Amino acid sequence: MSHPPAAAPGRLRLSILDAYTATRRFLIRGKRQPDVIFGSLLTPVIFVVLFGYVFGSSIIVPGGNYRSFLMPGLFAMSVLFSAGNNAVAVATDMSEGVVDRFKTLPIARSAIVIGRALSSLVLGIPVLVMMIACGLLVGWHPQNGLGNAVLAFLLFELFGFAIGWLGVLVGLLAGSPQAADVIMNIPIFLLGFISSVFVDPAKMPAWLRVIANWNPMSAIVTAGRQLFGNTIGPPPSGVWSLEHPIATTMGLAAIIIIVVTPLCVHLYSRRVSR
Amino acid sequence: MTAPAIAADHLARSFGSTRALVDVSWEVPAGGVCALLGRNGAGKTTAVRILTTLLDADRGHARVAGFDVATQANEVRRRIGVTGQTATMDELLTGWENLETIGRFCHLGAAVSRRRADELLHQFDLVDAGRQLVKRYSGGMRRRLDLAASLIADPEVLFLDEPTTGLDPISRGEMWASIRSLASGGTTVLLTTQYLDEADRLADTIVVIDRGLVVAGGTPEQLKASIGRPFVRVTLPDVDPANLERVRRLLGDAADVDGRSVSAPAPAGLTTLADVVEQLHRMGVPIHEVGLEHPSLDEVFSTVTGHAGSPSPAPAADGR
Repeated sequence: MSHPPAAAPGRLRLSILDAYTATRRFLIRGKRQPDVIFGSLLTPVIFVVLFGYVFGSSIIVPGGNYRSFLMPGLFAMSVLFSAGNNAVAVATDMSEGVVDRFKTLPIARSAIVIGRALSSLVLGIPVLVMMIACGLLVGWHPQNGLGNAVLAFLLFELFGFAIGWLGVLVGLLAGSPQAADVIMNIPIFLLGFISSVFVDPAKMPAWLRVIANWNPMSAIVTAGRQLFGNTIGPPPSGVWSLEHPIATTMGLAAIIIIVVTPLCVHLYSRRVSR
Repeated sequence: MTAPAIAADHLARSFGSTRALVDVSWEVPAGGVCALLGRNGAGKTTAVRILTTLLDADRGHARVAGFDVATQANEVRRRIGVTGQTATMDELLTGWENLETIGRFCHLGAAVSRRRADELLHQFDLVDAGRQLVKRYSGGMRRRLDLAASLIADPEVLFLDEPTTGLDPISRGEMWASIRSLASGGTTVLLTTQYLDEADRLADTIVVIDRGLVVAGGTPEQLKASIGRPFVRVTLPDVDPANLERVRRLLGDAADVDGRSVSAPAPAGLTTLADVVEQLHRMGVPIHEVGLEHPSLDEVFSTVTGHAGSPSPAPAADGR
C-alpha cells in the first residue's frame, strides 16, 4: 500500500473527514447509552413540572403567565446540561484505553474534540423536541410568528455549541468523568439560578440583581423571550447585555468558540501525546 | 526496501528519578520478526512507546519505516500498527464498528474500511462476535480484535507489546499462529515478551534488554549459544543407583545426577534427545520421563547481565 505524504489542502480535507468519523462514533456511543438518553429526555419533563407547577404556583411575574415566562429559560438550561454531558463524555474517553489507540492513528488532533461538540448538537435535538412538546402541553407557545421562533431555536443552538466547547474543555481538564460531572454542576446551577431563567431579577437584593442582570444566561433567555414574544416588559435600563440580548448572545458565542476551540485542540494534543 | 524497518539510536528516557531507558540502540531489518526480550520493568514498553510516537525520548533518535518518530510522527503513524497491553477497543461499539471506525481514521475511505472490517473479523474468527458490543467480549476476543484493529491499514511495521501475556495456552497458540502468518506476509513485527520460548519460536532476531540497556542480541541460535545450550533430562521411576549410573555413563562426562534425574548438555538439541531415547530403549532402563530443556529466562539474565533477577514469574502469570 502506498502512502503519499498529504499536501496542505489534503490535510484540511482529512481533518474534516476525521471530525466526521469522530462525530459518528460519538453518536453511536450516545445511542448505546439508554440511561443517559432516558435521563436527558426526562429532565425537561421534571423541570416543567417542578418549576411550572410546584414553584411556579407561588411565583408571580409581571404580565401574568409564569409558564410562558419559564419555557425560554428551560430551553437555555437544557443547553447547559448538554454541556455537562460533553464534559463527562470527553473525560470518559480520556480515561479509557481507546485514547491509546487514537494516539497511534494518523488522526487530525482536532477531530475528537470537534466530533464531540458536533455530536452533542445532534444528541440535543430529541431533548429539544421533548422540551417543545412539554412547553406546548403546558400552554406555552411562540407569540411572534414561526420565523422568529425558528430564529430563537437557532440562537439557542449556537449558544449550545459554544457552551458545549466549555464542556469539552472541562472534560479535558478533569481527572475523571466523576470529577467532570461535579465541576460542571456548580457553574450550571449558579449560572442557571442567579439569572432571569426562573424568576424576575427585579425582586432580588441589589447586589445579586447586578450579577443576575449581567449573567450571560439572562441575555440568552431574554433574547429567546423577545423572539418568542414571551416578554415581561422592557429590560432593566443600563444593562447593555439585556438591551441587546441577541447581539450579546451571538458575540459571546463567537468569542467562546474562537477562544475555547483552539484551546481544546491544544489541550487534547497535549493529553494524547508524550 | 533496504533501510531498516526500525532503527533506534541511543534512546534514553527517565521518569522522575527512574531511568527506564539508559542507552538503547538496535536495528530491525524490514520483513522480519524481532523480539524485545526482558523482565518486567526492563524498559520494553518504554522503548515501544517511543517507537510508536506515544512518548518522547529524553535523548537519542529513532526511525520507523524510514521516518523520524519525533519530527515525522504522523508519517510514522500512517505506517505502523500497535497493540499495547491495555484493551483499546470502544466498549460501546460492536467489533465491526470499532474496526470500521479505525479504518476511517486511517483514511482508507468508507468502502475500504467496511471491506477490511469484514475481512479481519473473518481472519480472526470473530465473524459472529463482530455484531456484538465489545463490552460482552472475553479477554481473548478483545486481544484478537485489538490485533485486527492494528492491521486494518496493512501496516509496514507492527508493534505488539506482550501480545500473549495473560492469555490461556490455546489463545496463546492462536496468537503465535497469527503473528507467524503476518510475518510471512512481509510485515515487520516487533514484539516484546518476557518469555524466552516465545522469542525463540517467533523471532528472527532477539534483543535482550535489562535495566534500560541492551545486554545481548542476535538470532535465537546465536543467543542460546552464548548463554547456554539446551540439556536433556532423564527421570527414572525411582532412585535406583545402578540404573542411574548406567544413564549417567550414557549421557557422558558432563552428566549431572540429581535425585532420580540425570541431566546433560544436548548440543544438537532434538537430535541429541532422539539419540538418548533410542539408546535408553535399547538398554532397557525403566524410564519415567525424558525431555529436552532450555535455559530459563533467569539463566539467560544471570548469564548476560551478571546479576540474578527478582524471583521469576511463573510462565502463565499475568504481568506488565
